[in-house]
Amino acid sequence: MAQSTNALKKSKGILGALALLAVAVGLWWSLLVAPPDAYQGEVQRIMYLHLPSILTAYLSYFLVFIASGMYLWKREPKDDLLAHAAAELGVLFTALTIIEGSIWGKPTWGVWWTWDARLTFTAVLLLIYAGYLVLRASIDDQQRAASAAAILGIIGFLDIPLIHMSVYWWRTLHQPPSILRPDKKPWENVHPAMLTALTISFVGFLLLYFYLLSLRYRLGEMRQEIKALRLERGI
Amino acid sequence: MNLLRQAYLLLCKDLLLELRRRDSLLTMFFFGTLLLFVFHFAFDLPPDKIGELAPALLWLAFLFTGTLGLAQLFQAERDNHCLDALLLSPLDRGALFLAKTGFNFILMFLVELVVIPLFWILFNLPAWNLIPQLFLVTLLGTLGFCVLGTITAAITLRARGRELLLPLVLFPLMIPVILATIRCMETVLKTGGVADAMGWLRMLIGFDVIFITIGVLIFDSVIES
Amino acid sequence: MGPWGYVALAYGIVWGAIVVYWFSLKRRYRDAENELNRLRSLEAAPGHEQN
Repeated sequence: MAQSTNALKKSKGILGALALLAVAVGLWWSLLVAPPDAYQGEVQRIMYLHLPSILTAYLSYFLVFIASGMYLWKREPKDDLLAHAAAELGVLFTALTIIEGSIWGKPTWGVWWTWDARLTFTAVLLLIYAGYLVLRASIDDQQRAASAAAILGIIGFLDIPLIHMSVYWWRTLHQPPSILRPDKKPWENVHPAMLTALTISFVGFLLLYFYLLSLRYRLGEMRQEIKALRLERGI
Repeated sequence: MNLLRQAYLLLCKDLLLELRRRDSLLTMFFFGTLLLFVFHFAFDLPPDKIGELAPALLWLAFLFTGTLGLAQLFQAERDNHCLDALLLSPLDRGALFLAKTGFNFILMFLVELVVIPLFWILFNLPAWNLIPQLFLVTLLGTLGFCVLGTITAAITLRARGRELLLPLVLFPLMIPVILATIRCMETVLKTGGVADAMGWLRMLIGFDVIFITIGVLIFDSVIES
Repeated sequence: MGPWGYVALAYGIVWGAIVVYWFSLKRRYRDAENELNRLRSLEAAPGHEQN
């Protein structure tokens, strides 16, 4: 038992170290090595944060969906713990994406916020999964909280394509996409160093994500053990 | 068949209860009408301008009144542990979902039946002949609202502060329905038909079908004793 | 604010937030670990069987 916990801890430590390394190299590449963008200049460097963080958030929501489905099917608490951990991280990364987008938007579009389809969509994602966390927190019974959250994890994820579609149609019907869309640039125009910086950043985000996820998951596990022990002790 | 029959019986039970007590319906009526007055003061606009805003305003009113109805949806079941009794009976939970959705749908339909004409009267809107088409679109949207609303009402049933939590969870999920309905209604008001908004209409129908199916399949896990 | 200012702001906020989250996670983790160990040692302690 103690040995396996130690081994687990060690692997977590290795994952954390790898994440740190990848993040550091990623920062170096995205801030120093990659050339400034031909149109946007240095500001475009925010992309090396922006794209990896939103992709990580999507990955997180997908994990919530899968874990929720597994929970409803098998009723094993570990799936619920995973869904909870992934939702929390998903909310963190979505919130960061919105902040980055806002800071990027100010110099490129001239405003902090615009009701652009992509921005709106990301904000709605944040609302859905923040609601998920609030829902979890406000149901006392653990099992009930788990199934309620699992349902929301599933319907929320299935709703995402529809939300995406509707938000895009809403915008495109109203006005042509007049805003500069840096993320829509064809790939052949991208400098190879930019692509490398983006890839390294993405790997860094992914490693960091899984490191944080494993910590958050283990935290949930320990909290459950504590609850069980307390119940046993009658404390 | 069995599913539909069970759903029908449950729906009759709920309607009978509502007929005797008239809690939800009356409150929803008054609230819906009240909102129209609030809108009048908030948007002091000439009729042609208010006509442009009509779809959005109507949908705001329906959203709020609908949420009011949803908060009451499982009240009877909660009060006297009736839910436990209901769950002990050999009942398909999918039927319970359909019945509750249908019940809320009927309530909202009755409210809309009054509120839409009232809106036209109060704001002096000319296009009376378009009201049937508007109703069609509204009903599709209302169905979508009731379907997801029933699911969220059920999962927030045991939560602390569930009346607050319900719209918090529900509204972001409703965005496709809200946008689609408003666009369809706008198109109806502008062109006299929904032909120009077929994509939106299809999405609305798709939304309804997808989430009715999911609701029937998943409601077993939603409601647990 | 120049372009580098925006870049610095974005990188600062994002990595700052992640580090803060990481620290808070670490703290919660350690608290849970300590509590768990405490409860386990209670279990091992003699004399509790009386109740």
